[in-house]
Amino acid sequence: MTHVVTESCIRCKYTDCVDVCPVDCFREGPNFLTIDPDECIDCAVCIPECPVNAILPEEDVPSDQLKFIKLNAELAKKWPSITKRKAALPDADEWKDRKDKLDQLIR
Amino acid sequence: MEPQLNPAISATAASHDGPIETDAVIVGAGPVGLFQVFELGLLEVKAHIIDSLAYPGGQCIELYPDKPIYDIPAVPVCTGKELTDNLLKQIEPFGATFHLGQEVTLVAKREDGRFDLETSKGTRFVTKTIFIAGGVGSFQPRTLKVDGIEKFDGTQLHYRVRNPSQFAGKNLVIVGGGDSALDWTLNFVQDGPNKAESVILVHRRDGFKAAPASVAKMKELCEAYEMQFVVGQVTGIEEQDGQLTGVKVTGGDGVTRVVPLDMLLVFFGLSPKLGPIAEWGLNIERKQIVVDTEKFETNVPGIFAVGDINTYPGKKKLILSGFHEAALAAFGAAPYIFPDKRIHLQYTTTSPKLHKVLGVETPVFD
Repeated sequence: MTHVVTESCIRCKYTDCVDVCPVDCFREGPNFLTIDPDECIDCAVCIPECPVNAILPEEDVPSDQLKFIKLNAELAKKWPSITKRKAALPDADEWKDRKDKLDQLIR
Repeated sequence: MEPQLNPAISATAASHDGPIETDAVIVGAGPVGLFQVFELGLLEVKAHIIDSLAYPGGQCIELYPDKPIYDIPAVPVCTGKELTDNLLKQIEPFGATFHLGQEVTLVAKREDGRFDLETSKGTRFVTKTIFIAGGVGSFQPRTLKVDGIEKFDGTQLHYRVRNPSQFAGKNLVIVGGGDSALDWTLNFVQDGPNKAESVILVHRRDGFKAAPASVAKMKELCEAYEMQFVVGQVTGIEEQDGQLTGVKVTGGDGVTRVVPLDMLLVFFGLSPKLGPIAEWGLNIERKQIVVDTEKFETNVPGIFAVGDINTYPGKKKLILSGFHEAALAAFGAAPYIFPDKRIHLQYTTTSPKLHKVLGVETPVFD
């Protein structure tokens, strides 16, 4: 099991989650974060940190977001680790309530 | 002068004579495993305790030794280190035997109802009960994820230093930015029995988690041309005739350079893995062991699970919940250990019997 970053994170990347992770399992892409499923210990501390509720335990991922389980695992392999919070993307607030952002993801 | 025998060596030697016969083995020396020693001790059960780390404390020591904990009852605030130290003090009277730096590799039920249990160091036990206090799993070194590197693990690629002399006189590449990476870098650069031929430290950025004094010392050594520091990530390897000859390091500038080496040391910290616990025939749900809430016993009678590793309706992963579970598991296990004895609940305040096992005087009240 692991926790999963879902669609809400795309083009926002607030990064509040990375500060609290005890095992440094977040990975950073250009406009999205992922969780490395091999590192996550399911402590759930990151969930309430996310201002857009993008993080969910694997088994609670809704059906329309299931592809993010695989996507997190895949992107975590190639993206670098992020362990310190930084500024959100400049237009994060514009994108935070938007749905269907997967086509915006930069790999 | 009397020879001073290292108790660890004696214990290992004893294990070669045959398995250690005991009433209880605790797997995991985190706070809950340590408190399990206490609760078993009050019932006069002596325990052996095993942990994959070389020191007790589990997550409290490995993940947050200096972070304050505020939700231990009657302790307004303490750090993970303080909690561990206090628990070790609290369990002192019970003389538990610690088997550290080893993982349980085998658990099998015997015909006589007891269990065979073996560790990665070859320590063998025959025990009546097992208490799994494994937390989030055993802490394993994080590995370098580069294609083809695995086959050099243990020969030219090392995630820990067991024998420093094997690196003496070699050309070393050390990867990482934490204390382990910096401490070993300094150890191998500076004059001494383990001095390497050359040392190149590789870290993904020019900022370190390691102690600032070590970083300053490392930079000083770089300026004196005693060693080199390269910012970048290992992205590939070079090999020749089955030997690892170098690593490809991609720098912040996007340029990939080949760094030649004899030995590669990687220190990316530790990350917990459930490991072989998953193979012991226990009911597991979402990486946690299913237990009842009366005795915190698993589906295998005689095996109990306490702390973060178990699950039951309403489970909350809190240290204080683990302490409660340890108390009930000890009482739940007593019938396996003392089948003919009636177990009474006694209080440490008033019970002369408990005062005796705790090694304290029974107070006299006027």
